Amino acid sequence: MKKIKWTILTLAILSSIGGAFATRPHALVSGLYYFNGEGYLPAGTLGITYVCETSSNICTYTYSGGVYTPYQIQSNYTPILLTPTTKPAPKKDK
Amino acid sequence: MSKKQVMLECIVALLIMLFLYASISKFLDFKTFIDQMNNQPLPNSWTPFLVWAIPGLEIAISLSLLFEYTRLLGLYASLILMILFTVYTGIILLHFFPYIPCSCGGVIQKLTWTQHLILNLSYVSLSLLGIILQRRHYTNQIFITNKHNLV
Repeated sequence: MKKIKWTILTLAILSSIGGAFATRPHALVSGLYYFNGEGYLPAGTLGITYVCETSSNICTYTYSGGVYTPYQIQSNYTPILLTPTTKPAPKKDK
Repeated sequence: MSKKQVMLECIVALLIMLFLYASISKFLDFKTFIDQMNNQPLPNSWTPFLVWAIPGLEIAISLSLLFEYTRLLGLYASLILMILFTVYTGIILLHFFPYIPCSCGGVIQKLTWTQHLILNLSYVSLSLLGIILQRRHYTNQIFITNKHNLV
């Protein structure tokens, strides 16, 4: 009984460790870039200078050998300062 | 080994797979994980705490699920953690935050927020089922022990 239990658990542990290593992303050689409609510019730091909002666009690209490859997909590049807030602007008293 | 016990072991194995895979993936690409945490619509001051607390908790739950004495505790902890993840995903989908962050990076993160919600709800159900089966298993063990003592 214990043999079956530990066989199942060992398989679970090994597959999760193996899966994590197998799907490990390659380290980025260069920084990330975003497309502003005219050209590619350095993206900055995610969560600090920009956020990737869910959309059908491409948020950032990697650059290698003269080619820009989509990196953070299905999202939109949004600089932090331009991120809309939920709080409405206070109304001015007449 | 009864069918229910095999089912319990499979549920525990699925939970361990999820938590262990998720935590190891985070540690293997820690910089991206920090960036992803900063990308969430939560205060960035929480990031230094959350980047250690979340994978640490996931590993602790995985370890507690392995051993019989701590398994029920681990199942309750996984239920609570999965409910918290589900609530967060629900809040995101209800547009409670100023923006919907992308769920980009990693394999699980390739899912959309709706797919995340379905996955989380499935794991909430699995944790609940695991708790029910584990409690029954304990009750049966106590019953068998008492029966032996009486004989």
